[in-house]
Amino acid sequence: MKHLFLILSTLVIVWSCSTDDDPQTQEEPSASFNRQAMLVNWADKIIVPAYRDFQQSTNELQRRTVEFTATPNEVNLATLRNQWITSYRAFQKVSMFEIGRAEQLRFRDRLNTYPVNVAEVEDFIATGDYNFELPSTNDAQGFPAMDYLLNGLAPTDAEIANIYFGSNGLAHKAYLEAVVESIHVLATDVYNNWETSFRDDFVANNGFSASASVDKLTNDFIFYFEKSLRAGKIGIPAGVFSNEPLPQNVEGLYYGYLSKILALDALDAAEGFFRGRTNNTGNVYGESFETYLDFLNTIKNGADLSDLIIAQFEEARVAIELLNTDFTEQIATDNTAMLNAYDELQRNVILLKVDMLQALSIDVDYVDTDGD
Amino acid sequence: MKNLLFAATFISVLFASCSSDDDNGTAMEIDNEVVAPATYTFTRNGENSVSFSGQTTRIMMAGELVSAFKNFDTATENSLKAMFAHVEGAADFDSDALNASDKNVRSKTAASTDYFAANTTESTLIKNTFDSYITTQTSEVFPNENTVAEPGTAGQIADGSSVRYVTSQGLEMNQLFAKGLIGALMADQMLNNYLGTAVLDEADNRSNNDNDITETDKAYTTMEHKWDEAYGYLFGTSADPANPLATIGEDDSFLNKYVGSVAGDSDFSEIATEIFDAFKLGRAAIVAKNYEVRDAQAAIIRQKISEVIAIRAIYYLQNGKTAIENEDFGAAFHDLSEGYGFVYSLRFTRNNQDDNSFFTRSEVDEFTEAMLNDGEHGLWDVNPATLDTISEAIAAKFSFTVAQAATAD
Repeated sequence: MKHLFLILSTLVIVWSCSTDDDPQTQEEPSASFNRQAMLVNWADKIIVPAYRDFQQSTNELQRRTVEFTATPNEVNLATLRNQWITSYRAFQKVSMFEIGRAEQLRFRDRLNTYPVNVAEVEDFIATGDYNFELPSTNDAQGFPAMDYLLNGLAPTDAEIANIYFGSNGLAHKAYLEAVVESIHVLATDVYNNWETSFRDDFVANNGFSASASVDKLTNDFIFYFEKSLRAGKIGIPAGVFSNEPLPQNVEGLYYGYLSKILALDALDAAEGFFRGRTNNTGNVYGESFETYLDFLNTIKNGADLSDLIIAQFEEARVAIELLNTDFTEQIATDNTAMLNAYDELQRNVILLKVDMLQALSIDVDYVDTDGD
Repeated sequence: MKNLLFAATFISVLFASCSSDDDNGTAMEIDNEVVAPATYTFTRNGENSVSFSGQTTRIMMAGELVSAFKNFDTATENSLKAMFAHVEGAADFDSDALNASDKNVRSKTAASTDYFAANTTESTLIKNTFDSYITTQTSEVFPNENTVAEPGTAGQIADGSSVRYVTSQGLEMNQLFAKGLIGALMADQMLNNYLGTAVLDEADNRSNNDNDITETDKAYTTMEHKWDEAYGYLFGTSADPANPLATIGEDDSFLNKYVGSVAGDSDFSEIATEIFDAFKLGRAAIVAKNYEVRDAQAAIIRQKISEVIAIRAIYYLQNGKTAIENEDFGAAFHDLSEGYGFVYSLRFTRNNQDDNSFFTRSEVDEFTEAMLNDGEHGLWDVNPATLDTISEAIAAKFSFTVAQAATAD
């Protein structure tokens, strides 16, 4: 009896100390889901069309910018601003696909780091000395810089337009044009890369490893959902990561009525990608995380995991729709509603990052940095 | 009985071998009549007898200096070197208290009694190496503040959403400096100076301690104070230095931070407690005049602090390797620069088997040279296999694996 106890306790000890040493191997699921079909649907029905839309919108953005700088008046300002909104919304449909050329170019950081650094922008306007390829200029370019340049320079449109007028306006014109040019170049570069070569590379890289397309883009998607959508759009301004709310950190701060629209666009895009929705709209669905999970018949707490995730997208949507059009207003009047929206998004982070990745046998390839 | 004894031994060996990192250390609290208090609190005649203000000062000076490495607009080679070798009263720091201090960092860099008292050649070499980090920062990195880094060109590189400033070899000098100081200042002073018998038992320290002869106008004996000074290099900036585990990892950017990081890895979750308990029990042993227990605790601290440096070196080399494989050079250079600093710090570790460093000067130099010698442009060209080779060579001296050190969870 004593011996039995001994053996048992030894076993327990050996067992308990080996749990941490399990090699993180990744196994191909026994029944094989057609990952390549999913990659084709992702590329051809979602990603490339979204980049095409975005790229085309930046053509128009450039045209409207030239129109405004040639004739800086209120009408042209309003037209340009509307196109800025259109492009900013189209950007929400591609921002999660930070892979390949986009990753190399630091696409998201260069197009949408906010809050914009106003002091830096003013310095760049004054000196004309800047290089948007420098990572230190992330917060002086892209859509947030345009937000400041079109909406934040003065209280009224007449005054804003006037800043671009005549010889005094040359520096502002040049900077606005440079910001827009940079957006356009980045959008064109990534789109062309998908069209000319990356689409085929992406689809062909259909294996089961950390460097395979599915594993990489799945990580990019969840990283985006966690960091840019949940934290960037809602959590950070709501003060989840700081002592006080940070209303100055909302997206589209100077325009003022865009933060909710952009958050909902991003949520729709994320759900559309999860469900494999053609062109991110309508009711045509293809191979996707949803069908992959259904194929694996993944059950959590007695319910279909894909159903749980889709239901949670809906919960998050309901929570965000309750918010004020301008999140700064929402934070000022009732930040609890912001926190509630954050919580609903966070619930889906867990379902996606823990349950879905486990089901798909995909390892998380990013960690929170240790802050130094 | 024999069987039982054998079995018990067998189990405890097993336990020790597989859980040396998980041992909660409670067995240490009562040892040979020395009882450690619950917190690091010691008094004599009702008066606090713990003091390590000099260590707190030096940690804070090092912190300001490392931050100033990125003051592109205001820092100069001279201003940084003045912070490093501060002279009492000079306005080198933001803090008036630091300016007024007669302490500085440089004089205690590679300056332990055990390792460097009779090795001023190497001590000078090491101090000069830290000086050269400052010079490289101001002469090579500062002029290229607004240049995109490329192989052979210093400048900016993105690490996720962070901006890193690297040399033409991809090195971040502030990281080399900070992580190198963890060994050359904190660990060296702790393990090879204050916890060594040459310092603890110097001159009449033992008889004075035996007879409770305190320093002039102080509540502590010299031996007690030396022990506390060792403690101060880990816990000198703790929110509550008597109960420092509550905030371990948050109290500085040096040893405290990385003991906290390592303890955050389930493979090594008890390491901070083990170090703290050894400090407590060793200090209580000095009060109880039990020098065997004292030295046994010093040995534990030496082993565990050495492990922290080695684990962290491997951690950053391996994370840097992954980033290199992903061609994420910004993240890689940041990790590898931290790794380089921790590798450099290995020289100051302490092996209880022979009372020397786990790694010789030449071993450490081979590691750091290997990191930069796979190609013309240093870290831009580093081969993942090189990083694995170094990692394995470090882990070979300890009982943990590269895999255990590489993953934090």
